[in-house]
Amino acid sequence: MKKIVLSFLSSLKLTVALLIIIAALSILGTVIPQQYGPGESLTHMSPGLVKTFRSLQLLDLYHSVWFIILMCLLSLNLIACSLKRFPTSWKLFTATPSLDRTKPFEDLSPDNILMIEGERSGITSRVEHLLMKRYKRFRRRDTDTTTTFYGEKGAYSHFGVYIVHASILIIIAGAIIGSLWGFEGFVNLAEGESTDTVYVGRQKSLKELDYTVRCDKFSITYYANGMPKEYRSDLSFLENNAVIFQGPLLVNHPVTIKRIKFYQASYGTIPGGRVHITITRGNDKGTTLTVDLKDSFYLKENGAKVTIQRIEENFMSMGPAVLLSIHSSEANMQLWVFKDIEKMKQAIPNLLQKVPKFNPSLFKPYFFKLNTIAHTYYTGLQVSYDPGVSIVATGAFFIVFGFFLAFFSSHKRLWVRVDEQEGKTRIMVSAQSNKDPVGLEREREYLLRHFKKGSEVII
Amino acid sequence: MIINTTILSWVTFIYFASAIFYLFRMVTGKQFWGPLASWSALAGLIAQTAGILLRWFESYKMGIGHAPLSNLYESLIFFAWTIVFLYLIVEWRIKSRNIGAFVIPFAFLSMAFASFSPNVNTRIQPLIPALQSNWLISHVITCFFGYAAFTIACGLGFMYLLKGLEKGESSGPFLRFLPRREILDELTYHSVVIGFIFLTLGVITGSVWAYSAWGSYWSWDPKETWSLITWLVYAAMLHSRFLRGWKGKRMAIMSIIGFASVLFTYFGVNYLPGLHSYF
Ligand code: HEM
Repeated sequence: MKKIVLSFLSSLKLTVALLIIIAALSILGTVIPQQYGPGESLTHMSPGLVKTFRSLQLLDLYHSVWFIILMCLLSLNLIACSLKRFPTSWKLFTATPSLDRTKPFEDLSPDNILMIEGERSGITSRVEHLLMKRYKRFRRRDTDTTTTFYGEKGAYSHFGVYIVHASILIIIAGAIIGSLWGFEGFVNLAEGESTDTVYVGRQKSLKELDYTVRCDKFSITYYANGMPKEYRSDLSFLENNAVIFQGPLLVNHPVTIKRIKFYQASYGTIPGGRVHITITRGNDKGTTLTVDLKDSFYLKENGAKVTIQRIEENFMSMGPAVLLSIHSSEANMQLWVFKDIEKMKQAIPNLLQKVPKFNPSLFKPYFFKLNTIAHTYYTGLQVSYDPGVSIVATGAFFIVFGFFLAFFSSHKRLWVRVDEQEGKTRIMVSAQSNKDPVGLEREREYLLRHFKKGSEVII
Repeated sequence: MIINTTILSWVTFIYFASAIFYLFRMVTGKQFWGPLASWSALAGLIAQTAGILLRWFESYKMGIGHAPLSNLYESLIFFAWTIVFLYLIVEWRIKSRNIGAFVIPFAFLSMAFASFSPNVNTRIQPLIPALQSNWLISHVITCFFGYAAFTIACGLGFMYLLKGLEKGESSGPFLRFLPRREILDELTYHSVVIGFIFLTLGVITGSVWAYSAWGSYWSWDPKETWSLITWLVYAAMLHSRFLRGWKGKRMAIMSIIGFASVLFTYFGVNYLPGLHSYF
């Protein structure tokens, strides 16, 4: 029984099956909207379907039991497979073949044998010289009639696969550590506001920090074509009312305070606020006022009181507007004042006749114009702590390193025997490699060419 | 039209011509077309390189300088560039023109989509804050080299399946010109290895970028997830080589499935719910 489980766990068929099943499950996770994903749009599914998916944990698939079981199986598979095969690789790495063996030289094809005119000892030392230069692990053995050399390189290439696989385990471990001991919080801070707690969505809880964060200012700069160029929050971090750090936070440039990282994640404007409004009387050059929502100002002419009733960023899709209510002894009226009234008049020629409430000069003799709505921004900060990152990064580094060993290095082993036959010196070359037959062939040709150099070759 | 887009739309035609020459060579069995095909691919590559550099230069002149790797148009152009670049290296290394007819058309299609689709904006745009990162550049470069290697593997997969239709001497030059199946299998494997390494580097650099921009190196958004799916498909493919009976036809089919997954990662993801918006 134990044996069956072990051979199941260490089989490559299981690996391929697991990889494909994990891929398939991941596809499912991109088709079904995920609860905590960026979309959070479960609204267009029927309640019954949502309920079924929820009970199968398909709405948070990448943290579901299914997924965790598969990842555990994959890890076990990796460990079992590596343990099973490692002793073989270790033996190949450390093996020191006996140089008395004749096996490597049996059945050699003729192009691996050189017959050279010349004295054996001289040729032997030339062969040795060349081999010693090219092979770090090198041995020699002499008998009365023969000299045998053994050289190898790239023996470490057997470990490439283990490094790749160990790296995957390291990455999985780092991810687990991060999800157990890290957190991903979020907080919206209006300009001037501060907080020492953030909301952690996944745990649906609040997380208290050791210090306070304050948003001093949020600003956006734009390119000439209107695209955003920079989002910037000026933050202060305070501990016991003393500032411990102050600086800007930009997208792609997080700020780290006591191992917790802050990211510029989003922003918004707070409804309400204040407006800049210009009032012109007849042909005078006009006065510009800054007024807060619900505040009032008085007009000279007839003591009319004007109150800012509402401020709209985009009223009826016609851009920024404010609702004024005007009270005087003669009139009581409400008036919408737009920023883009000229454009609107062009688009709808008889607009003002149709909707007198939109006429900026309805309250004679005044003309109102909305200049801008002054924003109070809030900044959206992502606040996260992940103790697994450096582990994952280590895994990522070694997986690449392992690929290079696994794919681009090979264990080349070489036997060369020099002896005499029919009064001539014979060199036999036998080369082996665990992969990369092309590289091996090149090496063999190189050696044979150089053994020949400077000698008269008979065959 | 700005000069760089003009050059790049001309390159589309050069690649079209090159693809046709490669195809003529296979269909007619006349070697005459071979050098014509290779040289036009090379000429296209040189012109394209110039076009890309010019676009880069122009963006600096506009005061919004950045590497031309920031939107769909620029990525499609770069995709075609990597395909032809890698393909020409392969052609030179294996000293055979037989693969060209199955690879250069992909470069042509990518260029044609970039240059002539009304949905692709060819203008040089400034970088929004999330894209202002050097990691993004290394991310795009590594990913597209990976995609290009997988494109070549997919072309080889098709060739493998077609070669299976050959019936001795009675087959036309087209099938006879295709390399032997063992060679195709070997080349597919090597292309997938190159692609796999680059894709891994692409996922890593992408994670570093995500970590510095969004605060999490992995957040399971559809694009990330699909790149993982692609990676898993090719990992399965590399392992199934060691299973009995999996070499050959099944590997060819897997190289095509893997490429479909690449294409979905690249284009299809936009049709899924909950896309990671660029801020
Ligand atoms: C996502 C996970 C994995 C990745 C990325 C991965 C990667 C690799 C790579 C790159 C190779 C070299 C392939 C080649 O030379 O063509 C390889 C080989 C191998 N892998 Fe994995 N592997 C993974 C999971 C596993 C698992 C779970 C096992 C468990 C049994 C496993 C067992 C093997 C074996 C036995 C080899 C063959 C080694 C050889 O003889 O050269 N791999 N793997």
